[in-house]
Amino acid sequence: MSIQSEINPYLPYPVIIDDIIVESEDGNLKTFKFVFENKADEEKWQHVAGQFAMLSIAGQGEIPIGIASSPSEKGYLLFTVNRAGKVTTALHQMKIGDRMGIRGPMGNGFPIDTELKGKNIVIISGGFAFTTLRATLLYMLANRSDYGNITVIYGSRTPGMLLYRDELAEWAKRDDLDIHITVDAEAEGWNGLVGFVPTIAADVAPPADNAAALICGPPIMIKFTMPPLEKIGWNDDQVYLSLENRMKCGVGHCLHCNVGPTLVCKDGPVFTRSQVKDLPLEY
Amino acid sequence: MKETTVILAKDNLQGLLRKLGRDKSLVAPVTNQWGDTLYTEITDIDGTELDLSKQPQASLKGFFFPQQEVIQTYDTTAGYEFTPQRHIQPTLFFGVRSCDLHAVLYMDMIFSSPERDDAYFARRQDTTIITLACTTPFANCFCNATGSGPFMEYGYDLQLTDLGDRFLVEAGRQQGEQILQAWGHFFEPATEEDVQLQYQLSLEAGGRFQRKVEVEHACRILASGEVDEQIWQQLSARCADCGGCAYVCPTCTCFNIRDAQQEPSKGERIRSWDACTFSGFTRMAGGHNPINSDHALQRRFLHKLKYDVEKHGKPSCVGCGRCVDICFGHVDITTFIEAVVED
Repeated sequence: MSIQSEINPYLPYPVIIDDIIVESEDGNLKTFKFVFENKADEEKWQHVAGQFAMLSIAGQGEIPIGIASSPSEKGYLLFTVNRAGKVTTALHQMKIGDRMGIRGPMGNGFPIDTELKGKNIVIISGGFAFTTLRATLLYMLANRSDYGNITVIYGSRTPGMLLYRDELAEWAKRDDLDIHITVDAEAEGWNGLVGFVPTIAADVAPPADNAAALICGPPIMIKFTMPPLEKIGWNDDQVYLSLENRMKCGVGHCLHCNVGPTLVCKDGPVFTRSQVKDLPLEY
Repeated sequence: MKETTVILAKDNLQGLLRKLGRDKSLVAPVTNQWGDTLYTEITDIDGTELDLSKQPQASLKGFFFPQQEVIQTYDTTAGYEFTPQRHIQPTLFFGVRSCDLHAVLYMDMIFSSPERDDAYFARRQDTTIITLACTTPFANCFCNATGSGPFMEYGYDLQLTDLGDRFLVEAGRQQGEQILQAWGHFFEPATEEDVQLQYQLSLEAGGRFQRKVEVEHACRILASGEVDEQIWQQLSARCADCGGCAYVCPTCTCFNIRDAQQEPSKGERIRSWDACTFSGFTRMAGGHNPINSDHALQRRFLHKLKYDVEKHGKPSCVGCGRCVDICFGHVDITTFIEAVVED
């Protein structure tokens, strides 16, 4: 199977669901932990934080989902999936021990070993878009000396909708990480920040010098986060965004995901904000 | 190496095809009982009448990239096995028009990058293409404006030009040369007059186009500017979301992939034609759709006339005119080109 996948990018690697974690209070977000059925496939798999993969369920189809686990986490892959359509619904009904497939990794990922090295990094995220940024953050923490100050600003509607809550608590204890978790409105039992992500970003965003921002969230959050950053000197070349579009093949042929001449599956999903601004308005 | 040019008497055509059809399947234009002229697989050359007088209604696209094809079968009974399906059928295509060969050459290019498409090249391997130059373009043709006809300059194995009672035969690629060598007794040397006659016919053909479609002009406008919003809205309003243009288009290769379950643990993964003009083409789970219905035609026209020009140096419309026939809203690519040029 592994040799075939090298020749034919449409062949999924068989994986087994090793664990399922219900992330959100509404039950719509679950993290799936996959282990490769074949050791050879696992050894061949090498991804970069920010890449995605096709989750493949025989009889149901395939969906492109960002990889939530860091390349520094060995032996398994994590995907946090929102239940939204046919395949995600089927996935949410699956159980630990079930078999399915993965194709990938796909896309470019964040330039974490190149442009981002040596820089101060700010991660800004809202809702369930935090997944590939979790991968990115863990990778940076595993290679902590390669980066300057790391700031995380992450928000959700309610405390119960925050992803990776145990890890957030652990990260809050670290002194090499500046983390700000916020929820939209006061909630019982919540002692942390209250306010929208753009508001918090305006308060705590680091200076623009030698820095890069990785922003994933709803378009409205990104829109209102930019002005406070620009006010303190950030420009669009320093801001990395991740696009998502409908995809079928993931290898640059089906042309569902292209935005003008740009293929989100191959040229992206990560683009600088300058690059995104140059695209036709089709995303 | 100078390409070989010979003469094939029309009386010898059937005999030649009979020989060539021994090692390969033979596909050529045939008009069926319903009056449809289609590239058709011929099993009995002696009992079949070829029709080289009409433009085949479908291109060669479906032979290499079928409307539906099983790309994998799966079996999850004991494991999670996906088995790729490769369809290899050595085939000789005869009587292919230059627009259709240009489209195949385009598909060869896009299916080889960024990854090589196994299913496409399995079907494409071991095929020979013999073209027939268009001495009289058909009513909707505008290949002269897209640089893809009416005569081929490269890419064919053999190109035939109808000189009346005989064909002038030019060998383009090695496979063509091999046919001339292996079946030399069907051919006779071409005279200087034959070559002159072909040249004259090619010049006359260029003057016989009934439509003047300003493809290059439109491409230049699209390269440098935006399309007036009104053009998108007016044209898209008349698009019936049928996908006919993309289906008959020899260079439209967008596809969908879906699974068809046959029994609880067995089934097929199927690739089928899709059309970027369909309202659901870009719609994501959850309902978000980055393209609204006012811009239903935008992806298709800009892909062919703007983005492919940027990427490959020329538009990916081959001027076959099939979409002109199929579109009952009259918002085919020539309508768009005219709107852009007039604006």
